[in-house]
Amino acid sequence: MINIKVKCFSQVKYALGADELTFQLDDNTTSIDLEKIIRKKAGKKLNNVSLRIAINKKYQKEEIVLQNGDEVVFIPPVQGG
Amino acid sequence: MIITPEVLNKQKNDFTIIDVRSDEERQNFPLLGLDTILSSYDESINVAGKKVLVCQFGIVTEGMIIEKNINNAFSLLGGAQAWVEYYNENKDLSRWTRQIVLPEIGIEGQKKLLNCQVSIIGMGGLGCPVAQSLVMAGIGKLKLIDDDFVSISNLHRQPLYSFQDVNKKKILAAKSKLKALNPEVTIETDDVFFDDKNGEELLLNTDVIIDATDNIKSRQRIDQISKKLKIPTVYGALFRFEGQVSILNVNGSAGYNELFPNSNTNGEDSCADAGVLSMLPAIIGNIQALEAIKLIVGINNNLIGKLLMYDGMNHKTEVIEL
Repeated sequence: MINIKVKCFSQVKYALGADELTFQLDDNTTSIDLEKIIRKKAGKKLNNVSLRIAINKKYQKEEIVLQNGDEVVFIPPVQGG
Repeated sequence: MIITPEVLNKQKNDFTIIDVRSDEERQNFPLLGLDTILSSYDESINVAGKKVLVCQFGIVTEGMIIEKNINNAFSLLGGAQAWVEYYNENKDLSRWTRQIVLPEIGIEGQKKLLNCQVSIIGMGGLGCPVAQSLVMAGIGKLKLIDDDFVSISNLHRQPLYSFQDVNKKKILAAKSKLKALNPEVTIETDDVFFDDKNGEELLLNTDVIIDATDNIKSRQRIDQISKKLKIPTVYGALFRFEGQVSILNVNGSAGYNELFPNSNTNGEDSCADAGVLSMLPAIIGNIQALEAIKLIVGINNNLIGKLLMYDGMNHKTEVIEL
């Protein structure tokens, strides 16, 4: 098992109702798996919201296997100005 | 009391001018065009009548006049450095002396700001503080692009507009306020909605683009033109108590369309739908202005290739390497 911290911003924060969450996940869980978990937890609140992902402060273009202790940020586009 | 180089030049015969600098500073920055007497910080000033005290940056003499209670004395704003610039190039930069004294800015940095054109797309919550701060910092030329009118609901977060401006064009109300802040700034206004047809022409001759728009389509459009014209964009966006800032498209660095490819939202995140507290646009807009200044001056510690996420509710920030 691995422990992952998710830092929540913008729509993700409001959808999940928390600034930070920790997850205990199976080994070999990927970033896409985690996104599915997040979306399921958010119910419909993240429907149609694109999410990009950063792991340990680095933007990730591709799916990546998460490691124990990783810090994950989901980045939604925000449009207000 | 202070006096600027420009005013001193006009009235120099009315003053005794006292140079309190070190010999080395006098050699490196001679006060050409002024008849001076020499003194120092430690000496008492026993000159009757009106006098101007000159140090290197205009800061020591301001304090000296107060501490030593020197009567009829003025401190030269910006000091010898500002005088030399005025004498050689007929430019009075003394009003920016408090930022010129920063080693990261200096006279050369200030000149870069004066010679730069910044175009702001969107004169709403972000555009107002960006424009205000850039003009105060001494940007030489600003282009304001927006076709919107001022409405009452804008006033809580758009500080360039007042009740008298409601129903006026934003760009015209903004221009008037900005010219009051610095009459020497050149402000061009374009009363159009930025789109695919006009975008490229609008941004010709621009050095830095400020993305202060409020929708993803405009941001994607700006990114395409920013890439095509090879002009960097300082991106900013808001959501409730939060904001994002990045410098995009600098020598091939990531742009908006790489950061948010094929992006969607659920349409509930605009300021009108999600709400926005009045301070957030000011915070994020000023970070955009700060990044623009660093980019123009050439300060390398900046947000090129990075995304700043800021949450004003808990003051958490995240800087993500793109």
